[in-house]
Amino acid sequence: MLALAPDASSLRAAQSLASGGSWPLAGAGDGDAVWGECLGSAATPYRTAVDLSGPAYRCSCPSRKFPCKHALALLLLWSGGGIANHAAAPEWAATWLRGVRGGGEPPRDRGVPGGRPPGPAQLRRAQQREARVAAGLAELDRWLRDQVRQGLAASQRAGYRHWDEIAARLVDAQAPGLAERLRALAAVPHSGPGWEGRLLEEYALLRLLATAYRAQPALSPAQRDTIRSRIGFTVRQAEVLASATPVRDRWHVLARRDLDQDRIRTRRVWLRGARTGRFALVLSFAAVGESLDNSLTIGTVTDADLAFYPAAVPLRALVATRYDTVKAGAPAGAAIGGLLTEYATALGQDPWLDTWPALLEVTPARVPLPCVSDAAGGALPLHPGAADCWPLFALSGGRPVTVAGEWTPRGLWPLTAWAQGGMVVRL
Amino acid sequence: MSEPEGRGAAWTEERRRSDEGRKHLEGAPEASGRTLSTWDLVTASLIGTERSAVPTAGTPGVLIPDLASPGQDPAAVLLDRAALLTAARRAGRRPDQAELPPVCELDSRPVVRPAAARRLARMLRGEHPDLLAEWLAAVAARGLRLPPQLLPALLDRARRGRSADGSVARLVAEAGGPRVRWLAGLNPDWEFVLAESLAGEEAWRLGTASQRRAYLTALRAHDPGAARELITGGWAAAGPEERVMFVSVVAEGLSLADEPLLEAALDDGAAFVRKMAAEVLAALPGSALSQRMAERARRWLRMEEGPRGPRLVFFPPAGSDAAMRRDGITPSSGPRASQSADQTGLMLETVARTPLRTWTEEFGMTAAQIVAVPAGDWAPSLFIGWCRAAFSQRDQEWVTALINRALTGWALVTGALAELSRLIRQADPRLGAPDVLPGPVPEAPLALRHEIEVLRFRYEMLKELAHDHGDG
Repeated sequence: MLALAPDASSLRAAQSLASGGSWPLAGAGDGDAVWGECLGSAATPYRTAVDLSGPAYRCSCPSRKFPCKHALALLLLWSGGGIANHAAAPEWAATWLRGVRGGGEPPRDRGVPGGRPPGPAQLRRAQQREARVAAGLAELDRWLRDQVRQGLAASQRAGYRHWDEIAARLVDAQAPGLAERLRALAAVPHSGPGWEGRLLEEYALLRLLATAYRAQPALSPAQRDTIRSRIGFTVRQAEVLASATPVRDRWHVLARRDLDQDRIRTRRVWLRGARTGRFALVLSFAAVGESLDNSLTIGTVTDADLAFYPAAVPLRALVATRYDTVKAGAPAGAAIGGLLTEYATALGQDPWLDTWPALLEVTPARVPLPCVSDAAGGALPLHPGAADCWPLFALSGGRPVTVAGEWTPRGLWPLTAWAQGGMVVRL
Repeated sequence: MSEPEGRGAAWTEERRRSDEGRKHLEGAPEASGRTLSTWDLVTASLIGTERSAVPTAGTPGVLIPDLASPGQDPAAVLLDRAALLTAARRAGRRPDQAELPPVCELDSRPVVRPAAARRLARMLRGEHPDLLAEWLAAVAARGLRLPPQLLPALLDRARRGRSADGSVARLVAEAGGPRVRWLAGLNPDWEFVLAESLAGEEAWRLGTASQRRAYLTALRAHDPGAARELITGGWAAAGPEERVMFVSVVAEGLSLADEPLLEAALDDGAAFVRKMAAEVLAALPGSALSQRMAERARRWLRMEEGPRGPRLVFFPPAGSDAAMRRDGITPSSGPRASQSADQTGLMLETVARTPLRTWTEEFGMTAAQIVAVPAGDWAPSLFIGWCRAAFSQRDQEWVTALINRALTGWALVTGALAELSRLIRQADPRLGAPDVLPGPVPEAPLALRHEIEVLRFRYEMLKELAHDHGDG
């Protein structure tokens, strides 16, 4: 069910609303429907209804996300058994449900691609958001300059609240992407030697994002998409599926990484097309403790259409149509020089890219630091967070192995390796 | 550059560590005032632009347009330059150099199948860890090789549990082969395993207790006489722990030729050596001890026909004599043990050392029939005694009968469960195959269900290692 969430921030917002206290009125029944009134920031409660057979959603809130956090919260509450069955839906919910089921054509209030063009109310909301984001970015820019003016040396003694406060203001400014980036920075001053340089780099890239947002008119549409998605403007899945040209290929499922942040688990699955040579990233989200999407199995090859989100360097994608999945051996790994060139080219389009898919043919080594080395003699360090990665080392026995992982400015994070004979090993 | 006040040694240390960070960051030996490096900006940003000027020099290879207009906030200028340098540094990264490790010699044995590798990973995460040694021994015995990616976790595990169970370290060394020795050469934490890699006679002369045992067991399997000679020759010099090990090795491939050695061990100075010798002798068909035990057992335990069918009745002896004690039948421990506790002890010890054939021959019934005969208050001790006998005599018919009995509703006393647990770890793993054993009765305790689960786990783990393994 949580796979319905358009992004992690919606899910997080929904979780905080998914308690009985936020819903003075809530019920389920009338065929397959859930409805409720949610106390929000507005004077009157938002009215939310979900037709489970669709599923179709309706909410009186101004959010442009689809489904919105209220609809998600209602579903969470319902699936947790927090909503009792009611004999009849209130009039407003019943009317909408009749509309959905009656004519076959649900009343498309919002969020359905190919539906009506945005009405004046939607345009006004969009403009309001742009204004809020612009104000939030101006505030972020001031904050960043203050940090540099006063000196970063104090950051090591500052608690996480130092970043949480500015992050919270950016959430209010409807820039959740930036907020997440800022929250993650609280760990940097404790990330070992060289933290000062890493913190400055992150601050510099954040200011670059603020500057780039202001400079949007001078940029290409793809660059604008990149900037907006990094700030936290989401593109609906339905919109991606409707507008992107599907890329059909035999996608090798290379690697997977799950990250927990703020009660939300994010799963990153990396794919590589056999024909196109393109990399793709499929994201899924779940609450901590719940299971994540398992449909892409490491080591298999899936023949599928992928729809890429619009970006200067398109990586994130949705599986639009899946035709077939077969077992596969090891993919062909590249040399280190090739990886670095690819990454450099991508950075030219998107300087904020700090996680890049790596598929290498390398020998792990430990001197002078845990690293991997290729046939040309070049080496890349392992990410300090990936520890010593002894399993990768043991697997290689001093011979080259194919490794898939994430390349970051701090080093390679190995995730998958293929043993002799092609057996896939998750690290 | 002047140092900010009040920082002193901590500041110097921070600088020093940061300098290391810089070398790592830049990959260049020196970035002095002539060219602008990220580090110059980091230094300025640490102090703050309130107290430090923004460095302005150019950087080779990076074209920095003069973004700063007059009067612009120095902090903004610094951040913009840092952004450019960050992108340039990330994009311009060159590969480092590394020193490759030696290449490990190849192991021609096939690696275990992926399902078996997954099971090993589960065991290492804490699922039935006590079965690890059996699993490792089965891998080694079938000429298979351990999955290399799990060797680090196995070595850590063997290191932690080294004193408790030395056999894991030896089995990891054996089934891991050259890859284990290669890893041990690269991580001092794992060097201990090299001592477990001795082969042949060296293992006997210089090896650890576990290796000596393994050597002797292997020798016993293909030349029982040679093993017996080695034991006889080493007996006088061996400590009690090793003498127990000797006796337990002799228990495999037992023949009447072993009787003199074991009879002599009945007079050993250490009680647990005597006990073990008595158990092994009881398992030896035709041994004098087994005949003495059978004679006592027939006298003390009889089947009587009652109004509701047959029942077992015990006629305990008045006390123990020297001959009984020599054969391992000792009264209950504790000087003030009650008479009934004493009799329970005698009965238990007697049954535990009586050849199980005695009962089937005497009563003309199968093991399954005998264990089902009511025995009143004696039933728990009788069950424990039979469990011990089945364990030391490795009698699968009795093992099966006793496990079945436990599953079909008889309330187990605590001591019986411990015996059963031992039995289940030695039982033929085929008993764990689906539908071989009846499901436990509804009121069966959780601990019993757990024991049956152990049997199932053993069955599955050994089945995974059998014949055709998928990948070379």
